[in-house]
This record gives sequence, C-alpha cells and structure tokens, in this order.
Amino acid sequence: MGNSSSLMLRDEEIEQISGETEFNRNQIVRLYSRFLSLDKKGQGFLEREDLMNVPELAVNPLGDRIVDAFFTLAGKDDKHLNFRQFVQVLAYFQPIDKTKRNENNDRSKKLKFAFMMYDLNRNGYITREEFKVILNSMVGANITADQLDKIADRTIEEADADQDGKISFEEFCKAMEKTDIEDKMSIRFLN
Amino acid sequence: STIAASAMLLQFVVGLASLFYLPFIFSIVLLVIFLSATGLTLGIRKRIAHLLIAIFEWGSDVSESEEQVSESVGETREETAEEQPAPIRKRHSSSDLRIIKREHSELIDSKLLGQDVLKKKSTVSVLVDDSLDFISAGIESIIEDNVTSRFSAEQLPSWNLLSRTKYTFMHISPKLTILWILGFYFRYLILVPIRVCLFCVGMASMVFITSAVGYVPNKAVKKWLNRRAMLTSMRIFSRSFSSIVNFHDRHNRATQGGICVANHTSPMDVMILSCDNCYAMVGQKQGGILGFIQKSLSKAEHHIWFERSEAKDRMAVSNRMREHVEDPTKLPIIIFPEGTCINNTSVMMFKKGSFEISETIYPVAMKYDSRLGDAFWNSSKQSYGEYMWMMMTSWAITADVWYLPPMTRMEGEDSIAFARRVKKAIAKAGGLVDLEWDGALKREKVSNKLIALQQKLYFERLSTRTSMCSEITDDSIDILKNMSEDDRNQLFKCLDEADDDNAVIRKVSEFIPEVAALVTEAVKAEE
Repeated sequence: MGNSSSLMLRDEEIEQISGETEFNRNQIVRLYSRFLSLDKKGQGFLEREDLMNVPELAVNPLGDRIVDAFFTLAGKDDKHLNFRQFVQVLAYFQPIDKTKRNENNDRSKKLKFAFMMYDLNRNGYITREEFKVILNSMVGANITADQLDKIADRTIEEADADQDGKISFEEFCKAMEKTDIEDKMSIRFLN
Repeated sequence: STIAASAMLLQFVVGLASLFYLPFIFSIVLLVIFLSATGLTLGIRKRIAHLLIAIFEWGSDVSESEEQVSESVGETREETAEEQPAPIRKRHSSSDLRIIKREHSELIDSKLLGQDVLKKKSTVSVLVDDSLDFISAGIESIIEDNVTSRFSAEQLPSWNLLSRTKYTFMHISPKLTILWILGFYFRYLILVPIRVCLFCVGMASMVFITSAVGYVPNKAVKKWLNRRAMLTSMRIFSRSFSSIVNFHDRHNRATQGGICVANHTSPMDVMILSCDNCYAMVGQKQGGILGFIQKSLSKAEHHIWFERSEAKDRMAVSNRMREHVEDPTKLPIIIFPEGTCINNTSVMMFKKGSFEISETIYPVAMKYDSRLGDAFWNSSKQSYGEYMWMMMTSWAITADVWYLPPMTRMEGEDSIAFARRVKKAIAKAGGLVDLEWDGALKREKVSNKLIALQQKLYFERLSTRTSMCSEITDDSIDILKNMSEDDRNQLFKCLDEADDDNAVIRKVSEFIPEVAALVTEAVKAEE
C-alpha cells in the first residue's frame, strides 16, 4: 500500500530529540520511519519481540544482549521502548566529533554499552561465568566445556588487574585502551 | 478555495458524463476487446505513461525547489543558487535510499567467510575485537536490515500523485495539490469504470469461452481455441489494470511443456505472463467463485489443482507435476519458488521442491516499475480485495519480463545448488538483489538451524585462524609428559624416521622448551 508513514511525530518533538541527541532532522525522520516499520502491531512502542524479528539480529550471537541493553538503557519501563528512547540508545553509536568538547564522555558511553554486553546481571562486574555465557552464544556447541573454560580463564586473566577474579568497568576500559573504540562502535549515516 | 475549485470541477464533469459517458465507455471496451483478440496494440498506454512520468518529474522539481526556498530562510540568495544541484533522474533501484553505511555488518560477513585480513592472532584479542564488531553490526541491523525491508513496498524517489505513496514530510505546493485533484478525478471517474467493465468482460469471456471450448472433440482444434481464448482474456485483464508489459528475448519462451520459474511479486504475475504464452496453472482447489473458475479452465486444458489434503503430501505433489511436465502435449507449468510475494527489489531463497521435478528449467525474470503503481501485494497488510481495488485505482502497472535461456541441472549438482544458480540468473537479468534469506521470514521467526550455522562459522574462524589451535596443543605437551618413557621413545623414533619431521621437532623445540627437554631426554636414553 505504499510507504504511508504518516508522520505522527510533531515538529517540536523532532526539535527536542535533535537537541538531545545531535541527530539532524532528516536522520530523525528516517529513524522514525524505521521505528514504525519495526512496530508491526502499531502500538506506538517497541517490545523485545519486535526487535528480535529482524532476522539479521536474530542470528547475531550478541543479538539478545543488544536488545537487553536497549531496554535497560531505556529506563523505568523495561518492556516498552518509545521512539525517544529508541533514538537515545542509537545516539550512543554516533561517530565522535573530535572538535567538540565531549570526546571523553562519548568514548566512555560507548565503552559502557560494550560493558553491558558482558555484564549479564548488571552488577558492575564481568565474572568468568558471565563471559562463558557470551562465548557460548558465539560458538555454540562446537567447543568442549574444557576449551570454553580455558579461553574464559585466559581472557579474565589478561584484564584482571586487581586479581579479584572478575573484571570491573575500570579494568575493562583499561583493557580496551589500545582498541579504536570510536571506529569500532560508530555508525555512519549517509546523507 | 481549493474546495470551491474542486466542487466546480465536479459539476463540470457530471455534466459531461450525462452526455458522453456511457457511450464513451462502451466504445472503449469494444475497442479493447478487438485489440486483445487480435493481439494488436495502439501504444496508447505507453504514451500516456510517458506523459504521466514527465508530469511527476515536473511535480517533484516544483516541490524540491519550494523546499529549498523554505529551508534557505536566513541564507543569502547566492548561496541557494549555487547549492541547487541538477536533479538526478535516477530510476529507482533496489540499493537506493539507504540510511547508514553498513560497515560493521559487511565486516562481520567477511570475517565469517574467512575473507578478512587478520591482524591479531591470540584467541582472546580476536574474540574481544569480533564481539565489538558483532555489537555494532547488530545495531546496524536494527537501523536498517536487508530482509524486513523486502516485505514492504519500496520507496519512490519522486511522488507519483497517489496519496498512498505520499510522505508527509514532503513539501506540498498548491500546484501539486491541483495536479493531485485532477489526477484523482481522472482515475476514479474515467479509469475505474472502464477498468471494472473490462475486468468483468474479461472474466466472463475467460469462463464461458473455455467452457465452450471444452466441448470441442478435436484435440488440436481444442488446443488452438484454448490458446486464443486464454490469450484474449488475459489481454483484456491486463488492459483492465492498464498494464504495460515489455517482453524481452521471446525466443526463449517455453513452448512444449516443461517448468517455468519466476520471481513473485503479486497475484498478477500469472496474468502478465499469460498475455504472451499459455501456461498450465498450479494451485489448491478452492471453493466458491474461484473454484468455479478453476473448473471452467480445466474443461479446455489440463491444469493442476490439488485437494487440500493432497497439497500436504509432497511426494504426491511432485509426482503429479512430474507426470504433467514429462508430457510434451501439455502446457508448461508456471511456479514461483519463493513461496510468497516479495517487494521486487530482491529475489529471496528459492525452495528446492520445483527443481527436483525436472532436469530443465525455463527461468523468467520479472521487474515492475513502481512509478505508476506499485504491484507488490503485502498480504499481511492488505486483503486480496483491497489489493485489487488499489490496482484498479493506480495509474498503471509497468513491468519488464525477460525470458532466460533454459537451464539444465549440471553433473552432481543437487537441487539446492541448482535452485541457487537459477535464482542468481534471474536476479541478474532483472537487476534485483540476490538474497539467501528465506521468504518465509515474512511471517516466521529465524530457525535455530540458521543460528547454529552462524555459530559453526564463527567457531571455524577461531579454530583455524587464531592461536586457539596452539592453545589446544598445550594439551599435547601434557600428554607427552604423562606418557610412559617407552611410549615416548617409540613416538620420537617414529618421528625420527620421517625425513622432515626432525626439522619440525627442532623448530618446535626452539619455541617450547618442554619439548626440547623431552627430546634431549629421549636422545640421551637412546644413547
């Protein structure tokens, strides 16, 4: 029936979101169109299922971790995601503009998002067990429990500075110092 | 004021209608019947289509320039004059109108296929690196993905004066509004009545003529009559939707049985293909009107209609189709292996069933031009009736059909590979994106098999390209240490006897002191 994305988004809302997230008007409108197409039941908000309906996300090993992060960052109601919250989370992945003051803040936000992928129970630490769960979702039943343990051990060891058997956010950031987070976790819009 | 203008226009039209309307419509219907029966064309539809497209492009020029004027409030005149680029008259293609650069998704794809350049070697660093890419690729797929976009109508670069394709963020000027009103009246008051008449005439002719033909005793005459009847009716139908079809490479048409395979976009695919060639249809037996139509069609020619219970039995289906295909007196079958309607920007996975029936396939590629009317049927959003009404009230349906040369299964090629090869050829001919995703994802979730496949690919990446292997062979050092002396000596003797292995052990000893120690021990023991 054609792309009848009748814009239920008012201009003031677009202005507001643009101010908060630094997306420009065009990008916000395109994201809104995408939001509407993900919201198949037309409820005005997204649920976990709506995001997991994207096949490419469903086959991504970190797929449900990502969806989890969306809903955690959205705030109080962690079952429903409205458009504003949707865009706010996507804003974490904007390329860092080195001319603006907030460079360190942006880098820290991206690292926080990545940290959330591993820290399953959100207690601020990545434990060996949590890492094993992630590793398991990436390789599935193809490795033995033994190999799984070994790799998990080695990984935790490398980053665990204070030797407490788990990785805190500071240790995580330190371990990621050499990685070009800005490049790895930025998504460029075509204009 | 626009309301007043449209009221006046309406009165004028009503006046005209009472004088000229009915005779006008009837004469057009008769003309169409004559043209369809003889297979001629006056080229009127094509000319009107060109005119309409020129009008749309003028209209989008108007709206673009007005948009730029309104945005340039605050900028100087000179700046806007410089910044107005010449509008690019692009034919919409499947890769247009993307929002983001999908760098991370492409990177992940190349990693899983083993095609990337690996900078780090240790398993841990590769894992961490890859997991960041997985995260970004996941977010990219939330913003824009290759699959869900294929199940909704494609976007147009310039508005075609149908309110169904209007984006409200496009600036609408008074000129465009008037154009739209004129277009609206033209479509609903002139085109729709003609089309509805033609549709009824076409339906009636198809049903009654084929029933009549069924009584003809002579087989050859019957076949010829059926062909003429079907072609005529289908041409009337296609004119009833104002479809403009270009057939390419007609020498590749299937003429003596066989299976034709095509990409699926709308229920009208069969109608369009039947304007040029007669096909045997395949489908489930329906009740009611559709069932009546099916029965009449079957009187004149062999079609394959399955009972609901039979349809579930794949063997029975295959056998019946195979019987039909191997009989050269019967018409070629037309099959759509995608299984569902896709929005014509891509071709999705072909189900292998149809490729198991015959060794030779006649592929057909179809590409619709949605500037004058989008033929895609989104069955989850529209019912069949709504869809037909949408088609009747569009400007026209434009399509290109390419007949590809027949393809035969190669030695040792299985049905899945054969299906993939044919799909690739069809996608290439139609200028469509070739995707391996299953069209069933329109309604179903991703199957666990796909997820397991991804995991397997990732595991292969880790085990063959990172040092995970050497980490595993740490175990072999332990094993060597735990072996009894005799066994170890035996082992090293075997290794000694092989020519190159000495060099191997020497090299390994340089890196792993434990092995060096073992080797010297063994050598000492031998002496």
